[in-house]
Amino acid sequence: MTHINLEPQGETVAVPVHSRIPVDTGQVLVQARGLQKSFYHRSILKNVDFDMHRGDITVIIGKSGSGKSTLLRAIAGLTDPDAGEISIDGKTVFEGTTRTKDWAEASANVGMIFQTYTLWPHMNVLDNLTLAPRKTRGIAASEAKDRAESALDEVGMKQHILSRPTQLSGGERQRVAIARALMMKPKLLLCDEITSALDPPVAAEVLDVLRRLKEEDGIAVALVTHDMAFASKAADRLVFFHNGEIAVNATPEEAFDNCDNPDLKKFVDAVRF
Amino acid sequence: MNGYNFDWDVVARALPSMIQGLGLTLQITIITIVISMILAIPVAVGRMSKIEVIRWTAQGYIELFRCTPLLVQLFWIFYALPALTGVTLPGYVSALIALTANLTAFMAETYRSGFQSVPVEQVEAGRMLQLNRFQQLRYIIVPQAMRQQLPVILSLNISLFKDTALVSTIAVSDLMFVSNTISAQNYRALEIFTLAALIYFAIAFPVSLITSAIERRMQSTAGPGFKQGPNLLARMMPGTKVATS
Repeated sequence: MTHINLEPQGETVAVPVHSRIPVDTGQVLVQARGLQKSFYHRSILKNVDFDMHRGDITVIIGKSGSGKSTLLRAIAGLTDPDAGEISIDGKTVFEGTTRTKDWAEASANVGMIFQTYTLWPHMNVLDNLTLAPRKTRGIAASEAKDRAESALDEVGMKQHILSRPTQLSGGERQRVAIARALMMKPKLLLCDEITSALDPPVAAEVLDVLRRLKEEDGIAVALVTHDMAFASKAADRLVFFHNGEIAVNATPEEAFDNCDNPDLKKFVDAVRF
Repeated sequence: MNGYNFDWDVVARALPSMIQGLGLTLQITIITIVISMILAIPVAVGRMSKIEVIRWTAQGYIELFRCTPLLVQLFWIFYALPALTGVTLPGYVSALIALTANLTAFMAETYRSGFQSVPVEQVEAGRMLQLNRFQQLRYIIVPQAMRQQLPVILSLNISLFKDTALVSTIAVSDLMFVSNTISAQNYRALEIFTLAALIYFAIAFPVSLITSAIERRMQSTAGPGFKQGPNLLARMMPGTKVATS
């Protein structure tokens, strides 16, 4: 058995420890089976099977190009797999090579936050948050504003409601992006390297917001990150991608303390240093 | 100056007619700009379509009007089209069709460039928030693309305003046609065409200043440390150096 030392090296990142919620195998929120995807004849996903449970934080790690972002994009409906099946909240949304009729309804439960700051720069924070609820769900402006204040409060950004995205720091923008996703009341948040452009303390603040969303609102989070400290302390599942396949899918304890996968060990050592 | 005697009375007598011609020039300009700015949106969207037939049709239209002279387009619609269809269009209508078709092609390429300058992640964020294609275009892409491309759009409009002078060749009584007629009647080309040039300049120059001001404003918001010029006019002047710390 290989033991991987996860003690942070150098600057420490403050991530609160919380009690783990046991995995309930009857509460599957996302199920992917046999996902395949190639770009320019290069296979990025090779028959990937992946499950996520309600209210879980699943941390996905792996080298660039190993398939982790493609998996998130496939679940989000931004990239259609070449083959396979995806179910969200009990509904099959993708089968074979096409989306099913349930896709639109089921995908409304999914929010996604990206690595780059995707707030719309020509609108202030309030408009960024209220546009989609008003235009897609017909919510009145006053109600949308109330919701926006509540969502911003949840991520500690209420005082910036009238700010422009360009007036915010990177960490603040990502927290507003999370609040914007919350406006649609998602059951699942997909986070694609949302902290990779942030300083460690700022990244820890953003990740702490995700942890609170899971604990207080029961929102499931799939997070691509290289923050091993967060992975070990906050994740319910840890998925390690290697060459388009899931090489390790386990609890953080199993993955880090009792795993003999040499690729994972090599990856964790490289990320830590 | 070659012993030339200026006759400023001609200018005074010609001015009312030339102002009337300017009215038609402005009318043609405004109608063309409004219609082109609307028509260019579907052409630009078609140019980026994943459906090949639509994409190639839009591309073909754009290239046809970008790669042939406006004068040829004008003559073709006024002189050649009737031979093909049997219907003779009035000069004014022919002018509007030719100018609109031409400006739409250039405007569509400007829009496309603006649309593609919006980061794809911003559009994907809209998709993830359940905005449909039209809403993505209306609320995310077009406002940013327009802002980005506003100086180019204004430049195209200035060019169009000047290019309307070509409609005088098909007997549309715009500013140029009136100037030409008065000049021929009075043998006072220098005075009349100088006045015509001054009138064109008086309309185009303020728009050019506004274009420069917008470009400078965009530069100032593009990066930190920008310091504005001493006053509004100085900031609007083309060629004013951008002061950065």
